Amino acid sequence: MPEIRVTPLGAGQDVGRSCILVSIAGKNVMLDCGMHMGFNDDRRFPDFSYITRSGRLTDFLDCVIISHFHLDHCGALPYFSEMVGYDGPIYMTHPTQAICPILLEDYRKIAVDKKGEANFFTSQMIKDCMKKVVAVHLHQTVQVDDELEIKAYYAGHVLGAAMFQIKVGSESVVYTGDYNMTPDRHLGAAWIDRCRPNLLITESTYATTIRDSKRCRERDFLKKVHEAVERGGKVLIPVFALGRAQELCILLETFWERMNLKAPIYFSTGLTEKANHYYKLFITWTNQKIRKTFVQRNMFEFKHIKAFDRAFADNPGPMVVFATPGMLHAGQSLQIFRKWAGNEKNMVIMPGYCVQGTVGHKILSGQRKLEMEGRQVLEVKMQVEYMSFSAHADAKGIMQLVGQVEPEGVLLVHGEAKKMEFLKQKIEQELRVSCYMPANGETVTLPTSPSIPVGISLGLLKREMAQGLLPDAKKPRLLHGTLIMKDSNFRLVSSEQALKELGLAEHQLRFTCRVHLHDPRKEQETALRVYSHLKSVLKDHCVQHLPDGSVTVESILIQAAAHSEDPGTKVLLVSWTYQDEELGSYLTSLLKKGLPQAPS
Amino acid sequence: MDPECSQLLPALCAVLADPRQPMADDTCLEKLLDWFKTITEAGSSLLLLQENPCLVELLCHVLKPQDLSSRVLSFSLRLTGVFAAQEDCFQYLQQGELLPRLFGEAGPLGGAAWTAPTVRSGWIQGLRSLAQHPSALHFLADCGAVDTIFSLQGDSSLFVASAAGQLLVHILSLSMRGPAEGPPGLQADDWPACAQKIVGHIEESLRSTAAPQITQALNVLTTTFGHCHDPWTQVLWVQLHPLVAALLEKDPVPAAHSLVDLLLSVARSPGLSSSSCGLWETLAQTLSHLSPTQAGLLALGILKLQDCPQALRAQAFAVLLQPLACVLKATAQGPGPSGLLDSTSADSVTADILLPSKAACVGLLCRTLAHLELLLPLPQRPCPWPQAPLLGAAVTLLQLCGGSGSPASDEGRQLCTLLLGCVRVQRAALDFLGTLSQETGPPELVTQVFAVLLEYLRSPDSSPTVLKKAFQATFRWLLSSPRTPGCSDLDSHALLFLRELLPVLQKRLCSPCWEVRDSGLEFLTQMTRRWGGQAGFRHALLASEVPRLTEQLLRDPESYVRASAVTAMGQLSSQGLCVPPASPEHPGGQQKSLLGELLHILSTDSEGFPRRAVMQVFTQWLRDSHADVVGDTEQFVAGVLQVAGQDLDWEVRAQGLELALVFLEQTLGPPRSHCPYAVTPPVAAPASPLTQALQPLCRVRLFEFAFRALFDCDRPVAQKSCDLLLLLRAKMASSSSLQEPRSSPDVASVEAALQRWRAGDQAQPLGDLEPEVVLAVLRSMDLEGLRGALAESSDHVEKSPQSLLQDMLATVGILGENEADCY
Repeated sequence: MPEIRVTPLGAGQDVGRSCILVSIAGKNVMLDCGMHMGFNDDRRFPDFSYITRSGRLTDFLDCVIISHFHLDHCGALPYFSEMVGYDGPIYMTHPTQAICPILLEDYRKIAVDKKGEANFFTSQMIKDCMKKVVAVHLHQTVQVDDELEIKAYYAGHVLGAAMFQIKVGSESVVYTGDYNMTPDRHLGAAWIDRCRPNLLITESTYATTIRDSKRCRERDFLKKVHEAVERGGKVLIPVFALGRAQELCILLETFWERMNLKAPIYFSTGLTEKANHYYKLFITWTNQKIRKTFVQRNMFEFKHIKAFDRAFADNPGPMVVFATPGMLHAGQSLQIFRKWAGNEKNMVIMPGYCVQGTVGHKILSGQRKLEMEGRQVLEVKMQVEYMSFSAHADAKGIMQLVGQVEPEGVLLVHGEAKKMEFLKQKIEQELRVSCYMPANGETVTLPTSPSIPVGISLGLLKREMAQGLLPDAKKPRLLHGTLIMKDSNFRLVSSEQALKELGLAEHQLRFTCRVHLHDPRKEQETALRVYSHLKSVLKDHCVQHLPDGSVTVESILIQAAAHSEDPGTKVLLVSWTYQDEELGSYLTSLLKKGLPQAPS
Repeated sequence: MDPECSQLLPALCAVLADPRQPMADDTCLEKLLDWFKTITEAGSSLLLLQENPCLVELLCHVLKPQDLSSRVLSFSLRLTGVFAAQEDCFQYLQQGELLPRLFGEAGPLGGAAWTAPTVRSGWIQGLRSLAQHPSALHFLADCGAVDTIFSLQGDSSLFVASAAGQLLVHILSLSMRGPAEGPPGLQADDWPACAQKIVGHIEESLRSTAAPQITQALNVLTTTFGHCHDPWTQVLWVQLHPLVAALLEKDPVPAAHSLVDLLLSVARSPGLSSSSCGLWETLAQTLSHLSPTQAGLLALGILKLQDCPQALRAQAFAVLLQPLACVLKATAQGPGPSGLLDSTSADSVTADILLPSKAACVGLLCRTLAHLELLLPLPQRPCPWPQAPLLGAAVTLLQLCGGSGSPASDEGRQLCTLLLGCVRVQRAALDFLGTLSQETGPPELVTQVFAVLLEYLRSPDSSPTVLKKAFQATFRWLLSSPRTPGCSDLDSHALLFLRELLPVLQKRLCSPCWEVRDSGLEFLTQMTRRWGGQAGFRHALLASEVPRLTEQLLRDPESYVRASAVTAMGQLSSQGLCVPPASPEHPGGQQKSLLGELLHILSTDSEGFPRRAVMQVFTQWLRDSHADVVGDTEQFVAGVLQVAGQDLDWEVRAQGLELALVFLEQTLGPPRSHCPYAVTPPVAAPASPLTQALQPLCRVRLFEFAFRALFDCDRPVAQKSCDLLLLLRAKMASSSSLQEPRSSPDVASVEAALQRWRAGDQAQPLGDLEPEVVLAVLRSMDLEGLRGALAESSDHVEKSPQSLLQDMLATVGILGENEADCY
C-alpha cells in the first residue's frame, strides 16, 4: 500500500528546533534542520542517530529543504552536513542562501565565545555546507531527481522565507515552514496555489491566538522609544544581525524623519551594510510598498542610523542602539546593558523571545537584581520592555491557508500540544479534513492512492476506433489490452503486441461448463436440436454444425455426451475463449433453460 | 546542594506541582534534571531527600488525579529514577510505596497521561536510572514492568521504542550480573527468571512472522553483544543462533539491515569465540542470501574484522566488487576478463539490480563506491588490492556519467542512459577516485584518470559540488604522481597536465558561481603551498593568467571568495609568484603592493572572513620573514595591530594577538618550556637587555593593544591576551628585573588608565609606554587571577543551578504576556 510517512525529530508538539522527516513514494526528504538555542550541549541538535541507523545518510536522504534562515530552522545544517556526514543536496531560496551563513557565523562566534562549546562547527564547515546548497526561485519547479520535484512559494515571515511543495508522481506534501498571512512593514503575505496535496504540514505557533494588528505594536514601540529619548535616556534594542533588526530600523528611520528627531541611532553589529545589501538585492521579496518607493528612496538606506563604536556608549545624552546578540547572552549587547542598567531613565526593549539562561530571559521575567561574575550584583533600574514582533500566522491565518491549499490531511508542527489540540479540532470540525499532531519521534502514516500514468499503443487505439465508436469523455468505456510494466513505465498494448515484445508464446485459455439436459435421444440428435435452437435464437451469429457432431457459435464449442449414470440425461460440454466470455455465459444460461419441445 | 538552592527548592516544587503554572521554557526541566544528576552522583540521594522533604512531596503530589502537564509528570518519573538509583534511597522510596505508585499499574501507566509519548519516555528513563541494583530487579519483576517494556518496543514513538529496547538490554545484563554471591551459572536454565523471561521474549520474536518484531529482537541482541562481553553472552548466542540462522531461510530475508548489524556485532564481540558458534558459516550464508544492495554493508563489516577466515573475506570482497565488475563487463570494449572478478556467478543478480531501474542502480553504485572508499585506507584491506581494475571502474563510471563513455554492448548503453548526468554517482566516484590516489596504477590508466578529471573540470555541465570534488581528486592525484624518490617535485607528465589544467582553472576563477570560484582558489592555494618552490610549476603558473585573476578576486562581491583570494594571494606572494614581470606596455607602472592592498581590505572590508584571512596571511608572513615584512617589520606590526585593534570582529582581534605573539617571540626569543619539571638553569639575565629588548614591542604599541584586549568584551580575546602577557612575565621572571623598584608617576597613570579600561571606558589611549613602566605594570597585575576568571564561560553565572531555579520561579505568573513566543 503506498503511503506518506512523517516523523518530526524536532517541532513535534514544541517550538524548539524544526526537523521533519517525510517519506513520500519511496523518497526521503528532511524539512528544516534547526538548532535549539536553549541548550549548550548535543541536545541543541536533533537526534540524527534515528536516520543514520538506516545506513549512510547520503544514501537514505534524497534532499534537505530549508524553509528560512532562522536558526531554529537551519542552525544544525553545518553540523548535519559536515560533522554527521550528509553529502547530498540542500535546497533553499536565494535570500536564505545569502543570509543563512551570516547568522550561522554569528551564532558560532557566540558559542565559541563561551566555554565548553565542544563539538561545534567551524567557519570553514559553514562555508563547505553552503557550497552544497542549491538555491531556488519562487514558483520554479526544481527536479531533485527523475521523480522528486519541489517548488517554493512565498511565506512572508522573514526575507526569503518559503513554503515548499514536495511532489513525487501524483503524491505531494506541502510544508509551510513559518509563515505570515498578513503583510507587515517590509514583507508581503504568504501565498500558495490551490495545489490539493495529500498532506499539508503547517506551523501552529499561534494556533489559539487571534493576533492584534501589528500596527498597534509598532505604535507602542515608537511611543516608548520616543518617550525614553525625550527624557534624555538611552535605549538599547538587542537584536540578531538580520531580520527583525531591519524591520525595526525602517520603523525608527521613518519615525525620526517624520518627527525630525535628532538623537543618534546606532547599529552595533558591523553587519548593517551587508544586511541592507541583501535587502536591496532581494527587493522583489519585500512587500509592494517598499518595492514601489524603491525608485524614489531605498528604505534600506538609512539616513539616521549610523555604525556604532564601543566608545559611544559613554557619550552623554540620549541615543538608541541596536546591538547583537538578541538575548543579551554575550558580546556587545550585554556589555552595553551592564553600562546602562543602573539608570532609570534608560530603557531596554527586547523585540524577541529569550531562552532560559540568558540575561534577556531574566529581565523579561522581572528579575531586577542580577548576579554577575564574582558575586557582584547588578541592579537593573532601567525600564524593561518586551515587544513581540514575531510574524506567524494566527489561528485565522492558518485556517485560511488550509482552505486555500485544500489538502486531504493536515499535520501540525511548531507549536504547543495544548494549542495544537484546539486547532486540530477546529480544522476537523470546520474544514472536515483529518488532522494530525505527532510528538517528536512519532510517525504519522497516511495511505495514499497514487494515480499512475499509463501509455497506450497506437495500434490498440486504432483498433478501438475501427469499431466505429468515437471517444467521448463523458462516456467511459472498457478497453481491453495488456498492461506491460517495463523500465518503470506502464503501457497498454494489444495482447499480440505484448506477446511479441516480451517474446512469449501464446496459450489459449478456454472456459468450460457442463449443462445437463433431460433428453433420452441419442447424442447426435441432441446436438442437432441444440444447433437448431441456437440458429433460431442467435440470428446475428455464425452457428455451425460440424461433421463430428459438435456445434460452434463463434469460438464457442458445444458437444453433447451421454450421462454415465442416467441414460435419460445428456451432458452438454460448452467451452469458450475469454474473448467470447459474454457470449459464452449467455449461451450457458440459455441452454440451462432447456431446449424447446421438438415437434413429435 | 548549596543553601541558596535549598532555600529556593520548596517554592519551585510547589510551582511544579501546580497544574495552573505551565513551564514556559521546555529546556528548564531538562537542565533541572541535569543538576539533580550531578548532585546525586556526588553525594547521597537519601540525604538529599531527607534534607529537602519538598522533593518527596512533589513526587507524591504528581500522583494525585489532576490536570498536570505531561512534561512535569515525565520529569517526576525521571527524577524518581535518578534518586532510586542508590539502593538506600530506593528502599526509602519503597517504604512510602511511592515507586509502585509511580511505575506500577496504578500509576500513569494506567491513566490518560500514558497517551503522551513524553510520559512513556519518562517512565522508561526513570526505570533505566533506577535499575542499578538487585532490589530494583525484584521491583521490576513485582510490578510487571518487563511486560510493559516488551510492548513499548513497538511504540509509535521512535524515541520510546528505542529506549525500551535499550532498557531491556540493561535489565538483562543487570540480572546476569547476579547477586553479591556471584554471577549465575553458564547454563541458560540456571539463569535468573528475569533474564529467562527476556530471552524467551526474544526467541518468540525471532520466531514471529512479523518483521517489526523480528527487527526489535535483532536490535536488542545487537546492543547486548555490543555492550556486554561476559561469558554468558556466548551461551546466549549459542542458544539463539539457530533462530537467527533460520531467518535466512525466509525469502526475502526479514529485517535484513538489523540482521547485518547483529551478525557484525557478534563477530566483533571479544566475548565470543566465533569459530565455535558457527558464526562464520552464518556470515557466509547471509552474504549469499542477501541482495547485493543489502550485502554491501555486511561485506564491508566482515573485511574490517581483525581475524576472519580467508575464504569468507574473499567472498565478502567479491560481494563488494561485484557491481563494479558488472560495470566493467558491460562497458568492456572487447572480450576477456575485466580483471576485477573472474568468476561471475553472481553477475546476473547484480545486473538485475543495476540495469532495470535508475534509482536502484544509482543507490547500489554509490553504496559500493563509499564502502570501497572506507576500506582502502584500512590496514586489513584485502591483499592484493585490485588497484588497476578499480581505477578503471571509477574512470569508466565517470565517463558514463559525463557522457564520454561509448560502450559497445547493449548493457553498456543501457547503463550509459541510466547514469548520464547523474550527480550522485559523479560525487561518489570522484571521492573514490581521490582515495584511490593513495596507490598508484599503470601509467596508461593514470593518464586516463587525469584525462577524465580534466574532462570534468572543463565540462560546463559539472555542478559546483562535482567541480569541488573534481578539484580535490585532482590535487590528490597530483600529489601521488610518480616522482623521483626524495624529491617532491612534479614529474614531467604532471607538468604537462598542469599546462592543460591552468587554463581550465583560469576559466573556473571567472565562473558566475561563487562556489566554483572559491573551490578554484582553494585548489590554487593547495597547489602553491605544495609546489610553489618548484621551477616547472612556477613557470607554468606565471605563464598563465591565474595570478592576475586571483588578484582581481580580492575585490569579488562574495566575501567567501575574497577571503579565499586573500589566502591564495598570500601564498602566491610567499612563493614570489604574485608579482607578474612588469609588462612592456607599462614599464615602471605604479604596481600597488599586495601589502597595501591587504591592509586596505583589513581596514575597510565590511565582512569578517576576508579580514580574518588577511590577519592569517600577515601572521604567516611575519613568521616566514616575508620580503614585504622584513623591510620594516616594526612599521608593519604597528600598522597591522592598530587596524586589528579597532576591528569589530573578535576573531580578527584574537588573530592580532597571534601576530603580536609571533613578533614577541621573534624579539625576545622562543618561550621557555612550560613543563614544571623541566630543568632550566637559573640564568639571570641582566635587567638592561630585557628593557632594551622590550623597546621594539613598545614602539609598535604592542602593549597598548594587549592591555586593551585584556579587557575585551569577548572572552577569547581577553584570554589570549592574558596568555601573551603571562608569557612575557615568565620571561621577565628569568631576569633580574623582578627586583626592580616600581611606583613611578608613569606607572600610576597607566594603572589608573587600565582601571578605567576594565570598567569599560576605553576611550583614552595609553600613549607611549616605556619598557620599565610596562614591566612594573605587568608585575602588579593579577594575571593568574584574571586567567582563572576568564576560564569560566561568559555565561557561567546565568547557567548556574541557582540562576536556573530563580528563572523558573520568576517566570511564574508572567507567562500570559509573552506566551509561546519564538522567532
